[in-house]
Amino acid sequence: MNATSLETFSLLAPEIVLVLAALVAYLGGAFAGLRFGWLVAAAGIVAAMAVTRGQAADPVFSAGVTVDAFSGFIRWTVLALGFLLCLVQSGDLFASAVSRGPGLHRGGTCEEAGTFLLLLAGLSLVGVAGDLVLLFAGLELVSIPTYILLGLKRTDARGQEASLKYFFLSLVASAIFLYALVCLYGIGGSTDLQAIASRLQTEAATNRTVQVLLPLAIGMAIVGAAFRLAAVPMHFYAPDVYEGTSPGNAALLSTLPKVAGIVILARLIALVGSGTSPELFWRLAVVLAAVTMTVGNVMALWQKNLRRLLACSSIAHAGYLLVGIAVAAAVSAPGATADGRSSWLFAAGGLSATLFYLTTYALATIGLFGAIAYLGHRWPEWTSGSGPRPPREEITTVDDLDGLSSTNPVAAFALAVFLLSLAGIPPLPGFWGKLTLAVSTLEVDWNSPITLGSRRCWFVGLAVVLVINAAIAAAYYLRIIAAMYFKTTKRGVQADGGLTGGLAMLACLALVGMVTIQPRGLFTAASRAGESILPQAAAPAAQVSLTPESIATTP
Amino acid sequence: MNGFSPSSHLLLTIAAPLVGAVVAWALGSRGVSAVRQSAAVSAVVTLGLAGWLIVRFLGDAAAVSGLPFALVEMPWLTEGIFDVKLSLGLDGLSLWMFGLAALLSVTAVFVSWDAVKDRPVGFYVLLLVLEAAMLGVFAARDVILFYTCFEFTLVPLFFLIGIWGHDDRRRAAAKFFIYTLTGSVFTFLGLLAIVLWNASHSGTVTFDIETLTDAMKINPMPMSAEGGWLQMIVFLALLAGFAVKVPIVPFHTWLPLAHVEAPTGGSVDLAGVLLKLGIYGFLRFSLPMLPEATAVAAPWLFGLGVTGIIYGALVALVQTDLKRLIAYSSVSHMGYIVMGLFALTPVATEGANLQLINHGISSAGLFALVGMIYERFHTRNIASLGGIASKAPWLTVMFMLFTFSSIGLPGLNGFVGEFMILAGSFQRAWSGVSPVWQTAYLAMSLLAVVGVVLGAWYMLWAVERVFFGGSREPPRDHGHDAAASHATTGSHGSHGGHAVPHDRCDLRWHELAALLPLAVFAIWIGLAPATFLRPAFAARMRLTDPAAQVAQAPTP
Repeated sequence: MNATSLETFSLLAPEIVLVLAALVAYLGGAFAGLRFGWLVAAAGIVAAMAVTRGQAADPVFSAGVTVDAFSGFIRWTVLALGFLLCLVQSGDLFASAVSRGPGLHRGGTCEEAGTFLLLLAGLSLVGVAGDLVLLFAGLELVSIPTYILLGLKRTDARGQEASLKYFFLSLVASAIFLYALVCLYGIGGSTDLQAIASRLQTEAATNRTVQVLLPLAIGMAIVGAAFRLAAVPMHFYAPDVYEGTSPGNAALLSTLPKVAGIVILARLIALVGSGTSPELFWRLAVVLAAVTMTVGNVMALWQKNLRRLLACSSIAHAGYLLVGIAVAAAVSAPGATADGRSSWLFAAGGLSATLFYLTTYALATIGLFGAIAYLGHRWPEWTSGSGPRPPREEITTVDDLDGLSSTNPVAAFALAVFLLSLAGIPPLPGFWGKLTLAVSTLEVDWNSPITLGSRRCWFVGLAVVLVINAAIAAAYYLRIIAAMYFKTTKRGVQADGGLTGGLAMLACLALVGMVTIQPRGLFTAASRAGESILPQAAAPAAQVSLTPESIATTP
Repeated sequence: MNGFSPSSHLLLTIAAPLVGAVVAWALGSRGVSAVRQSAAVSAVVTLGLAGWLIVRFLGDAAAVSGLPFALVEMPWLTEGIFDVKLSLGLDGLSLWMFGLAALLSVTAVFVSWDAVKDRPVGFYVLLLVLEAAMLGVFAARDVILFYTCFEFTLVPLFFLIGIWGHDDRRRAAAKFFIYTLTGSVFTFLGLLAIVLWNASHSGTVTFDIETLTDAMKINPMPMSAEGGWLQMIVFLALLAGFAVKVPIVPFHTWLPLAHVEAPTGGSVDLAGVLLKLGIYGFLRFSLPMLPEATAVAAPWLFGLGVTGIIYGALVALVQTDLKRLIAYSSVSHMGYIVMGLFALTPVATEGANLQLINHGISSAGLFALVGMIYERFHTRNIASLGGIASKAPWLTVMFMLFTFSSIGLPGLNGFVGEFMILAGSFQRAWSGVSPVWQTAYLAMSLLAVVGVVLGAWYMLWAVERVFFGGSREPPRDHGHDAAASHATTGSHGSHGGHAVPHDRCDLRWHELAALLPLAVFAIWIGLAPATFLRPAFAARMRLTDPAAQVAQAPTP
């Protein structure tokens, strides 16, 4: 259905609300002396949620904007994560104001909050983009505010290094991704994703240009997405940048860009799946997934710095996310499965598993950083006779959490739950995520035997790598838990990071608890979202129910 | 359905320790004694509920004849054809394990009565959560629920070992967790493969264990080169987790460390219940669902079982630490169960099934007693102990009882189980196997008999050194290095700096409360094993039959 430009605007209403809220924050901060920027941000996010809720549920395509279950899922994820991050970020700001003394940071809250809102608007735009130009514009609207936030938060040399490092690598990644878009434009002769898809469908088998350009586009798009996911080969920046920035920014970096990366890859799968299936895509994704999670986990084993460790963990989780992408890339092609179904678990197999995993991962990660932001500083070693009291030290290393279970039992408990969830211990959400990923991986080509080099063999191998990595990851997550619960300390934590960080932690804890007890809601939403973006895979699955005849035909 | 149907009874039994955990937590500010009393009440109430449920089970003719009892079903993750349920129920196989878990939790609470002064709230809460998970794993009728409880037992035990354990507790806790987790993630993949195999034939992704068991009989997984040896691969995947859990030698290295470092209450649950999960997994999944692969692997696992018996016994023989000695004796005794299970003859599997409970009782009793000795003398070093019999006669009597139970003295429970396992194993040698295998089975069974002798040797020798002979006070500085380091790490609050005076040396009431029920069952099972064998018979036969038939073991 085509719509007028007014209708297009109404489709983009949530993003418009976010941008308006950003303007209020900017202008209010600059001219009206507004001091509660983050309050504006939170209100803006809530308003955007309300607008999103009011939108029609039916899929609508209009002038490069696609509003369907997938973009709805992304929007809701972005807004919900945005709200939680808003809490973490504002708490974080409070902490830096304390450590630098009051008054130094006046007005900054509004700039940061506005920038953050623009970032969310960009990310939400990426979710609805059905056009190459809009997609790229959305991505840049994610990247540029990220540079600003990174630069604003820390003024020391480390923080500057982190933001510069991120800036340059992000530019490179964007440039490479732009080349991928150019290739896609060359294939389709249009910037509209649907047009490119139909062109691919008709010409992929015959047109030489398409056959040359498509692998190039896939390769470069994967590199572009890998940067946002913090996946191999674009993962090097993560530990340094996380270490150099604040917990709030680290929480942001480890979740929101990943959403963008997943959207890019999902759109790419929808495109590629409608043409012939280049083996290249899924093979590349399988290799990258296996390498990424192994590299991330093994690197994390040696980390002492908490944020570096969590950066490595975020690399590893990018690998897990790629597992579902690889599955989706492999089975999205027409005729991928002998019995016409791509999946028993989800109508859209791996992609839905990835979306599900993404939310469970993001919840636990934001909760973790929220808790770290909330804890803030720890008391110095100081006795009253030994001169002036030294300044409090920010919590940076795993050892700084020693004995947290006795000094701050609530935070220790929440951290332990988040860490166990990330490790995939049942029945926490991370386990459900790994369950869906493992099922979707194992069910690829289920009915063909496992022969060396076959697609089934690749994916069974991937499943094995996945679970081995889950065991490796447990080692370093447990190290943090052991520090909190098994060690003792004479220097407690200050818990001066601001109450909002603690609030974010508790909110994440509650959400984690809800998904633990009843994972169904999220599961259904992820399933619908994956289904809607891969119509050609969903169409048979929606109708096929295995009848005795179809059972008889399966070997 | 009346108001208190068996189903709600089962739910209540599993919920009771969780409620108890909340109560214990709420009472945290009232001090140690309030917390431990509430924990004891919860554990005893749970045991009462479980015992009553067992009585109801025994009164139900359908349940005894092998049908599941007290079914509870609730949707958990149900979406389209994907169907994970919260599905609980008992059958003959899980019945006694369920009761054992409830029984040993009472023991675990009472043995910790004086031993745990530091952060008692956390300790008892974790103990009760662990109990709920143990009850849940045996009552689970859904693959995911089973796996959830199976894995989740690691979490409370990880904390129990890591916080309230002995000197090397942090390493022990981490090794225990990671070792077991690494094994069981493969089990996870194997279980998923079974579910998907069924899904490819029936079109629904059901995780119901009962349905899967039936379906795997109709559509067995391929066990040939054309089918890619799928059944064998899945069997090995399941084996990875279960073998570590049992533990089957050579995957046992986590066990002595975990046991030695664990607090007594943790050891009791670990040895008594958690080691049984591996065997229970074999019985629940491998034997009924993958019979051909089980038949192929059985002789090798039988051999590994015998290796474990001999190896565990020989290592136990040279131990200087009493707790470590009992840990290795666990390795040896679990070897018997593995051997009996994979002999696949009805008598042997029945013996193995019974021995699960027997070993649970005797090893839990022994670990509890070692803990009591440690509390009194602050050492577990056999060489520094001696002549306890004159100071603590009742403690000695109890230790002797569980020792005899463990080494299989006729009249006590261990004898029945071991005898059945050995008889069944010899039977296996004459079950029409090739002469080569006949010789091998015969030789291995004879070795297992030698293991019985070794078992008597190391246990009785240890008893002699520890309880009889000249009375010996552990040398102060030596015996106290452990206690002293506890004082500095603050892990065990308040061991005094010196041994308990003589008049307070014997068993106290809570220690008796911990041990007496176990002693009663040790004697009861020894004298009237049929009471315990009969209800389990039908359910176990149904589960072991497929594999036994493939292996051509004689059927009754």
